[in-house]
Amino acid sequence: MAAQMAVASGLGLNPAPQDDALAGTRHHHGAQCRCTVFSRLGRLNPVISCRAVRRDFGDFTAIHDLNLEVAPGAICSLLGPNGAGKSTTIKVLTGLLPLTGGTAQVAGCDVRDDLQKLKCCIGVVPDDLGLFDDLTVAEHLSLTGTVHRLEARTARHRTDQLLSVLELAHFGDRFVSACSHGVRKKTALAMALLPNPKVLFLDEPFEGVDPVSSRTICGLLQQAAEKGTTVLLTTHSLFLAQSIASQFVIMIDGRLVWNVSATDVSGPLEQHYLDLIEPTEGGKVDWLGWRQS
Amino acid sequence: MARLAAILRALWLATRRDRKSVLSVGSNSFVMASLLVMQDAGLFIFLLVALVVIIPLSANPSQKIPLSRQRCWPLSRAEVWTLRMASPWVNPMTWLIALLLIAVEAEKITNGVWLFTAMVVSGGFLVSSLPKNLEHAVFRHMPRFPGILNQLIRKDLRQILSVMDVYLAGLLSGITAFVRLTGIDLPSHGLMILTTLVVLALSSYTLSLFGPDVPSGLSRYRLLPIRGWQPLLSKDLSVLLVSLPLLAPMQTVPGLGATLVALAIGHRPSVRVARMQSRWRFSRGARFLPLGLAQSFGIASAGALVFFHGPLLLVPCIAVWILSIRHYGKPIERGAAWVDTTLSP
Repeated sequence: MAAQMAVASGLGLNPAPQDDALAGTRHHHGAQCRCTVFSRLGRLNPVISCRAVRRDFGDFTAIHDLNLEVAPGAICSLLGPNGAGKSTTIKVLTGLLPLTGGTAQVAGCDVRDDLQKLKCCIGVVPDDLGLFDDLTVAEHLSLTGTVHRLEARTARHRTDQLLSVLELAHFGDRFVSACSHGVRKKTALAMALLPNPKVLFLDEPFEGVDPVSSRTICGLLQQAAEKGTTVLLTTHSLFLAQSIASQFVIMIDGRLVWNVSATDVSGPLEQHYLDLIEPTEGGKVDWLGWRQS
Repeated sequence: MARLAAILRALWLATRRDRKSVLSVGSNSFVMASLLVMQDAGLFIFLLVALVVIIPLSANPSQKIPLSRQRCWPLSRAEVWTLRMASPWVNPMTWLIALLLIAVEAEKITNGVWLFTAMVVSGGFLVSSLPKNLEHAVFRHMPRFPGILNQLIRKDLRQILSVMDVYLAGLLSGITAFVRLTGIDLPSHGLMILTTLVVLALSSYTLSLFGPDVPSGLSRYRLLPIRGWQPLLSKDLSVLLVSLPLLAPMQTVPGLGATLVALAIGHRPSVRVARMQSRWRFSRGARFLPLGLAQSFGIASAGALVFFHGPLLLVPCIAVWILSIRHYGKPIERGAAWVDTTLSP
């Protein structure tokens, strides 16, 4: 485990990609340019900052003393096997679950004390999607626009754009309970994006979503990050993670075991992931397969 | 044949669980309060409850098997037809209709009673066979409300209209309205009793206001940048919007006072734990003892006070309600609500 604790201390992925031209360079020219971005961002304060964050459920500790910083405009991909504590981390950072110990700040708001302020500057796709069965897709977006006090015209304009871009236009009048999982996920994503938040927390945004929509979502996230939005997402798709993320974090059993900048990753991310998380030995089911040997 | 027997056995198990959820009416404050107070005189009330309960009990058992699953099973055409013919007999309501037919033959009951029961059971059977996406479509069109709570109130109205408590209250209200329209002058005290019954019928729902939002909606409430009292207000407005028309043919003002007290008492359990509610079932509120009983007592007292001492006593009812909303909104705002409803890792 000690070898796995290759935590890139002093990662210093810090802020502000307010410079659109620079961000654009990062997007179009790959890892080489990302390095430049991070060296410049390193001087600024992190948007997400966790210090010894801990979350217990009775005797079970879901997160062990998590220390993590994410810079403004960064896309941080939280990876790890099922039950590693990724979703719990997102819940804790968005105020869905209280911390058991430590401190966490998101966009300058303490997740313990400034909950109301925090809710105004984050967009979240929680693992259960947080949708109401008795509202239609369009009504969910209308609700989001109103509670974030967006001007009616702006809300309508953004809603139309998001419905169109995420290919939800045909489902606008459909109750979410009657929608497929992918449509529900895209609805939750549209709700997260609509108020144009400072920070996006996305729990498995690509799961159950078709490949074309996944690509669209990647594009939207990159576009948002270029303009300063910070993204923390969990995913099991290492390919998609590598294509958009500027920071990779791997958790195992509630512990952060790997935290690196995309520029420090050479070769496929999958290889690094499998080096850290070895597959279970002897996973054979003798009777499986119709031909008897 | 063994395959069919296994499927029918699974259907029987599924419908038995479903029957248990329908018969959760036993924990309904209205039924318990009627049982305690009215005893023998409550027969009419129980007949109404039975009428409302028969519809979900008559659901088509084969609907328990998802269509996609049914199509995946390697059943022959003959087996599919046998399953279709046999599955209604898994439901005891089918046997009840058959037994009642025998009773008609033996001249124990009249043709009219049998026909009425058969029609209600068939109605429940047909309704349950409708496509699931029609369930919500019934309440698609809701009025729009001013302010940021618009969509929340619309949602809450759809939720309250999907529990059977409202239809029981509606039956009571409808019968009262019919009697009054025919020119029969009901004594004001009698109307007050009916008013209390209507509020009692809705009271279990007020004990678990966030139950229909379990589990996904609770996360959304925690994420919405609104004040804690606002979701409670939205829930309460939906209850008031439904209850006021139902109370119109009765003692409306005392009924309003009783409803406000019911809501105020219901805030604490509603914010503490969100009990999952099923559509087209009676609400599962908190335990009748002590909370349901206390709420029933509060409803009866508030209604009686306003009825006997005038509408001015509505003011303390409103004050109690406002204080309760403000107080119990705080845990929602702090993210400390629904602590007993686990959001596991």
